[in-house]
Amino acid sequence: MDKKVLPVIEFKNVGLSFDNNQILKNISFEIATGQFYTLLGPSGSGKSTILNLISGQLSADAGEILFDGKVINNIPAENRRVNTVFQNYALFPNMTVFDNVAFGPKLKKMPKDKIKAKVREMLALVKLEAFENRAIQELSGGQKQRVAIARALANEPEVLLLDEPLSALDYKLRKQMQSELRAIQKRLGITFIFVTHDQEEALAMSDWIFIMNDGKIQQNGTPVDIYDEPINHFVADFIGESNIINGVMKQDYLVNFVGKDFENLDAGMQLNEPVEVVLRPEDLDLVPVDQGKLIVTIADQSFRGDFYEITAIDDDGNEWKVQATNPSSVGARVGLDFGPEDIHVMRFNESEDDFDARIESYEGE
Amino acid sequence: MQKKILGNSYVLLIMVLLYIPIIFLVAYSFNSGTIMSGWSGFSFIHYQQLFADTRLLKILLDTFILAISSATIAAFIGTIGALFLDSFHNKKNLNVFSSLNNVLLVSPDVTIGVSFLILFTILGFSLGFVSVLISHIAFSIPIVLLMVLPRLREMDNTLIIAARDLGANRGTILSQIVIPEIWPSIMAGFLLALTYSLDDFAVTFFVTGNGFSTLSVEIYSRARQGVSLEINALSALMFAVSLLLVLAYYLYTTYSDKKARLTK
Repeated sequence: MDKKVLPVIEFKNVGLSFDNNQILKNISFEIATGQFYTLLGPSGSGKSTILNLISGQLSADAGEILFDGKVINNIPAENRRVNTVFQNYALFPNMTVFDNVAFGPKLKKMPKDKIKAKVREMLALVKLEAFENRAIQELSGGQKQRVAIARALANEPEVLLLDEPLSALDYKLRKQMQSELRAIQKRLGITFIFVTHDQEEALAMSDWIFIMNDGKIQQNGTPVDIYDEPINHFVADFIGESNIINGVMKQDYLVNFVGKDFENLDAGMQLNEPVEVVLRPEDLDLVPVDQGKLIVTIADQSFRGDFYEITAIDDDGNEWKVQATNPSSVGARVGLDFGPEDIHVMRFNESEDDFDARIESYEGE
Repeated sequence: MQKKILGNSYVLLIMVLLYIPIIFLVAYSFNSGTIMSGWSGFSFIHYQQLFADTRLLKILLDTFILAISSATIAAFIGTIGALFLDSFHNKKNLNVFSSLNNVLLVSPDVTIGVSFLILFTILGFSLGFVSVLISHIAFSIPIVLLMVLPRLREMDNTLIIAARDLGANRGTILSQIVIPEIWPSIMAGFLLALTYSLDDFAVTFFVTGNGFSTLSVEIYSRARQGVSLEINALSALMFAVSLLLVLAYYLYTTYSDKKARLTK
């Protein structure tokens, strides 16, 4: 990220505990303006807590939270330039759609005609032009979601916080709202911070993902970086499907697992260091036995629409998940093929900084 | 089928038994005679007497003024109390206060009346409209609290968080989010307090003094010399008003039910 541009939000060693339970452990990160960020993690990982710290619903025990370069730890929620879209929408039931969206602008004492224009603009943005006078009870779940987005954006926040806003919608509607949200963010050019536990959603929408677990940021990066180069077992397992196998790094660019040596693209580790090896199911190909790098037996196969999900067992008893476009048959002996670029090696307990430094050390050559 | 007829006639019998005294009372308000025994002919004479009886009409007016003001003040105080109780995060404290509130609701009116009489006497407070008003407010507050508190506790807390998030301060949240949300319960509490105040005899009997009386106390004192049919006329009118109110309430609820179903 460009060093000259001030981050819009910065966390410096932020910590938070409830009843001796550490929810956030010494978190530091920066959020740049105009990007789509996602906080991704299982429930209880601390992702919503970060959102509540930014919005001011919670206050940190330790560390500093900066907004536009100023510490905001003690600024109350109503005076922060952020707004939130809530998971359960939290629309005001006694007000119409118009009054819900106008709630923020009215509090700012905007002139009436400006409020009207603002509300119309926001409802147009979420494609609800004709719904101004509807009661909230008359709306469907998807429409309520749109009103919630319009209401939060009507306040012209610098940062929009979205707390699992799509989790109550059905699959198709969720897909549609994902691309619409992305389009709205691009059009307005403000920062979105999106919280979700759905990794598919995170990969599809984000410029930058923070993976949270256990009150810590496990890894952050672009969706492609995180998918291709997970830093540890948790990230590899949480993002996408993966085969994770124990191995040994023989030397740079040579890894040993299931009793065989394989060429790969990872380096910078100690000789004979024990490691974990990640192979994505979609990178594995089923080939005739004599052409395979490994020989496996098909144990299970299920049709998933656009691919077949196959479980195969190698001769050492390791399970391999494979995604194949063509069906195989259960019980068949087949070869398993993959290239050096499909192998990703992870060290045990490597921090994100060490990981980045190591990658730089040999990729810069 | 036979069961149904049996059930229906049972309910009908109960209804008739419950309503007979009232029907009897209303019928005799049109009696041209002066006593309840023996029908001497139809007339409006007791209604004419009633409208000429300025003392009784003033008492009627006082009773309504008392009921409306005590219910309004109780609704106000009770709602504030409920808001405070709702802010208790400690469940134990909340339960203690709720139970104390319920004790007041079930304690006999006589106890409340006597205790207020003792209090006013000790304080040297002169008995009259103000003393009655204070006691009515006192027994109405628990009623309002009972109606409002559950609604507050049911309220979706994220509404408040959302309002704050949009820039609302405490006052705005209270006036624009919380009060509209609990308004139906405040109204229900108000109406219930209103009827309790209109009905009350025991508490008022103890704490009222010279120069102020409510309908129930007045009727009681007149009835000791035998009920005049003027009272029948008054009761008939009040019964008619209650009927109208029930009817209006019924129409209102069926209308809003229909609306609620249509908007779903």
